[in-house]
Amino acid sequence: MIGKKLGTTFFLLIGLALFLLLPLNTAQAVPSFERQTGMPCNECHTVFPELTPFGRIFKLGGYVMSKSGKQYEFPPPLAGMVQLSYTDSKGLTSGVAPFDSTNRETDRSNLPQQLSLFYGGRVYDKFGAFVQGTYDGVSNKIFLDLTDIRYSRNTILWDKNLIYGLTLNNSPTVQDVWNSTPVWGFPYASSGVASTPTAGTIIDGALDQQVGGIGAYAYWNNLIYLEGTVYRTARNGITRPLGVGTPTEQVVDGAVPYWRLALEQRRKNHFFTVGTYGMQADIFPSGNSSGPSDRFTDIAFDAQYQYMGTIEPEQMEGQKAGEPQAKANKHIITAHATWIHENQDWKASFPLGNTANSSDFLNTFKMNLNYYYRSSSGDIGGSIGYFSTTGKTDPLLYSSNPGDGSRTGSPNSDGIILEADYLPWEKTKISLQYIIYNKFNGARTNYDGFDRDASDNNTLYALVWLMI
Amino acid sequence: MKRILGGAVVLLFLGAVPLLAKSFEGNEYGKGKTLYEDKCDFCHGIRGDGKGPAAEPLLGHPVDLTGSGFWKESGESVIEDTIKNGKEMMPAFNLEPNQIKDIIQYMSHTFKKTTQENRGGRKEK
Repeated sequence: MIGKKLGTTFFLLIGLALFLLLPLNTAQAVPSFERQTGMPCNECHTVFPELTPFGRIFKLGGYVMSKSGKQYEFPPPLAGMVQLSYTDSKGLTSGVAPFDSTNRETDRSNLPQQLSLFYGGRVYDKFGAFVQGTYDGVSNKIFLDLTDIRYSRNTILWDKNLIYGLTLNNSPTVQDVWNSTPVWGFPYASSGVASTPTAGTIIDGALDQQVGGIGAYAYWNNLIYLEGTVYRTARNGITRPLGVGTPTEQVVDGAVPYWRLALEQRRKNHFFTVGTYGMQADIFPSGNSSGPSDRFTDIAFDAQYQYMGTIEPEQMEGQKAGEPQAKANKHIITAHATWIHENQDWKASFPLGNTANSSDFLNTFKMNLNYYYRSSSGDIGGSIGYFSTTGKTDPLLYSSNPGDGSRTGSPNSDGIILEADYLPWEKTKISLQYIIYNKFNGARTNYDGFDRDASDNNTLYALVWLMI
Repeated sequence: MKRILGGAVVLLFLGAVPLLAKSFEGNEYGKGKTLYEDKCDFCHGIRGDGKGPAAEPLLGHPVDLTGSGFWKESGESVIEDTIKNGKEMMPAFNLEPNQIKDIIQYMSHTFKKTTQENRGGRKEK
């Protein structure tokens, strides 16, 4: 009953937002951040959702930068998102027979794949929020999606700018401002029905909407970023509202510390970032919420390079006299890489007989290169990405099963992602993505023990992504 | 009951931080400073030198409000017009006339003075 009421309320809010936002003219018919700041979307995004250097500062500033003289925004900063997609793959979809007409979770066409309502912008004074409520067209469920509520200030420390603040969020790395960390990493959208490799690290999405946490951060001299956040389960207690609509399948035991350190350096219009992040989580075995727990320790390193041709390089300090003055152009290049090492200590699962080893490990590596060109008829660009997962063989953890199992007990997978993007307008993205698997769940051929090959999971994905 | 109390404590904490900060600012500094810090300093910098945290990544460099050239070329009406209508990357701000006046007064009092002091310093050398 509550779920039905929640659903009705959600659709009414979406309807209200569309009613309020759609009739506005081009200059106003924009997502809430743009309306609040009076700045165009591409000031903060290369191509959404990837952030520009200015977008990172806006986020660290707590989403509160505003052209209004009031301490709050009226009307409230609401925005909408629609994702319509089509998936084509030879292989299994969502662990069920290929495109089974009786199962919605295997539909080729997901219309919509996602429908979201955002509260994005200033709440009051220095308080701002990015809160996403989502209707998932694949699972037919409504839930509180990515949420990041901030309080931020800035000052001068040791003669340099310091931005500092607090973040309350529900997914580790949702608060991060570089697109080399999991939540905002490439690919920015993917099929909701295609099969994906079984193994993944805890920090790479497993705790999204499963936890709630509060953290403190500081960014000094546009150079050093430091953050510490502590999470707890969203199953109960004060963090419960942060997991509304999502069943808590990963119940963490006690506090989960998360850390982040990043260094960014600018050279003309080239921005370089290197960083590290990680967390340690004690998680009860599936189905348990008390007793012994397994320990996951994730340590990651990441790097980002961004060439912002759209920023005038002559504005840099320290320009040598007589040095040629380059001009802003229309090219943007971004490269990301992240490597995550996870130690898995099966303190609870091994005695229960759920794993073959008392401890395992996973290493994941992702990298991608994006290029965008801001043409007069819209932004056009594309990406190429590589992903790899390797780890210790564990026949019980990765057992043989049709489609999503592993014949070898190995978690190893790797492949390439190709993507083409076109934005005829700032807030409309049309993408065509192709994922090619070289290895899937431990093998290239007959990976599941039931004659399925890795290439059977190659996926073509077409997406229309609208921000309103 | 425990949950309600817990929620109340969090809400009180979250609510108290900005309110305390606000009341402190209200007593310590003028309205112009508060508005400048809210609207301007992210780009133009706390010291008005055009080197706020958001300045570096912007297309077009924020104006140095401490520069003598700025005050020579920009009268109050020019600054008011820029705040109202925006200029290049700077968006148009939707502020009340008295708010704009407060900001200009703060800028003039703080950054113009800094400029004069700097000039004096150089002369002494």
